[in-house]
Amino acid sequence: MAQVIAAKTRPTSAPWKRRNSRNILLVTLASVLPAAVAAAVTVLLGLDGAIGLLVLFVPLQLIASVGIGGYLFKKRGRQDAALIVFTVFFTVLVAVLLSSVLVAVFEAGLRMMRWSFISQNATYISPTTSLDYGGLGHAVLGSILVVGFTTLVTVPLGIGVAIYLTESRASGRNFIRSLIQSMSGLPSVVSGLFIYSAMIVTHWSGQSGITGSLALMPLMLPTVARVCEEALRLVPTDLRSAALGLGAPNYRMFLQVVLPAAKSGIVTAVLLGVARIIGETAPLLLTVNPSAGTNLNIFAGQIETLPTYLFGNLSLSTDYSVQRAWGAALIVLFLVLIIFTLTRAIGGNKQLKTPKKRK
Amino acid sequence: MTQLITPQAHLRSEDINVWFGERHVLSDVNLTFPENQVTALIGPSGCGKSTFIRTLNRMHELIPGAGLSGAVLLDGQDIYGDGVNPVDVRIKIGMVFQKPNPFPTMSIKENILSGLKLSGRKVTNADELVETSLRRASIWNEVKDRLNEPAISLSGGQQQRLCIARSLAMEPQVLLMDEPCSALDPGSTRRIEETIEEISESMTIVIVTHNMQQAQRVSQQTAFFLAEDGNPGTVVEFGATEDVFNRPIDPRTNDYVNGHFG
Repeated sequence: MAQVIAAKTRPTSAPWKRRNSRNILLVTLASVLPAAVAAAVTVLLGLDGAIGLLVLFVPLQLIASVGIGGYLFKKRGRQDAALIVFTVFFTVLVAVLLSSVLVAVFEAGLRMMRWSFISQNATYISPTTSLDYGGLGHAVLGSILVVGFTTLVTVPLGIGVAIYLTESRASGRNFIRSLIQSMSGLPSVVSGLFIYSAMIVTHWSGQSGITGSLALMPLMLPTVARVCEEALRLVPTDLRSAALGLGAPNYRMFLQVVLPAAKSGIVTAVLLGVARIIGETAPLLLTVNPSAGTNLNIFAGQIETLPTYLFGNLSLSTDYSVQRAWGAALIVLFLVLIIFTLTRAIGGNKQLKTPKKRK
Repeated sequence: MTQLITPQAHLRSEDINVWFGERHVLSDVNLTFPENQVTALIGPSGCGKSTFIRTLNRMHELIPGAGLSGAVLLDGQDIYGDGVNPVDVRIKIGMVFQKPNPFPTMSIKENILSGLKLSGRKVTNADELVETSLRRASIWNEVKDRLNEPAISLSGGQQQRLCIARSLAMEPQVLLMDEPCSALDPGSTRRIEETIEEISESMTIVIVTHNMQQAQRVSQQTAFFLAEDGNPGTVVEFGATEDVFNRPIDPRTNDYVNGHFG
């Protein structure tokens, strides 16, 4: 009978989460008191907020947490408490730093957001022209063209390098791999200088969208190649064996089995590559001649891009032009967001979705 | 080596020696696999049976540093002969691996047809081929209503039978199975053994297994591999399954099949 009654009472669903009221009280005190004390002392003494946070709150919190953790669970409790305090503190610190960048860009940038800012170009616009006139439409188009062309050339090249590194047994692989690795450490301004001195100083070519693209390629290539390589390497050997065991030539095995399995990784590689170059300013300053008008021909003539528009307006340093620079910064953020969302939607990994319900 | 091959010899290895780099791992393996019979390869881990089975359809050469001497004759033709394309060999001699490895990006149906597509052949009457292949691997009834679902939604045992069906769709002359049941539960193992019995009516089967009972249940002949004290692995005893298990000639075979070591 006792068993029947026991079965009727609701079983404890998560025994590892059991707490008694004393533990709850102590843990709550440890979480609330230090903050309250630190805040009160800071306000009463009129201390600087940063001092209150670093000198008062963090040590107090550490002492309180470690003390109560140790009281409740001995050594394990002390270690746990110390780790939690540090983890939470640094997590919050990084989150605050990152979001403060976003907040600053949004706060200043949103004031610029109006249709004319996106749709118009900067012809006849001076640093003192009202913010209701003129925009960065030409820079958005220019950036899309320059980055688009760079992507068009670099992605096949990067995937090619990754295929060479993972699928072939050539002896030059280690050399190429270290070359790619050192390329990823290349300062972007050096890449710009290289194109500048090799093509523009020598009058081989004028400054154009293409020279800008060329300067961005060495920056994008290592990112694409390395992330792609990683994606291809993650495809299990089992799958390759299965395909070869069925009588597939190497190229069919790669195209029909390895590539589909690595698809989402390759999409990530492309995205990271685009993210790497979309905000690059230094190489473009040297290789692209900014213009106020719209130019859809990347092979010749002046062309504006978002980073150069931002930099140009910032260096004019009138109130209005700085405003425009903030607006451009926000547009860059949105552009990255749009590119990421679109690419994920198109190339996302469908295989990982849960299978459809059976009828 | 006699030139006269037993009339029904289908696949035959002659003096197979295998190296990985400088390490000699298999020495002088001479085995004959008669048509439509099941041959079991048994032996302790590391004795080279998996390595050997991979030499039979040229999967061995895909491992970096692999070396080989000897010949493997399929209907009297050396599969390592000049001008023989390994791709053609693997179409005729199919393989089922230890771990089920269906293609995760493909549906059940696409997995069955993948062999044809991967080897560049046209698929005619796909539905019929899918059904026959799945029926022969005795998994049709479990999956007939979900042919378009991802293959990885199946259980481990079902995945392995799917892989067998995928190989059968290629209509190989020989099917190599490298411990096909080692990752499966007894129920799935039984169903795969039934499948083996059924398909051996129309193809030659070579199966590596660690399971003595399985070898006795499914095979007509058995080869016992052993690698002793750093020596390369070799065949200690080869003969009718019943003889190898009940009347072994070599004392080491006797010890192994009776569970004294390994």
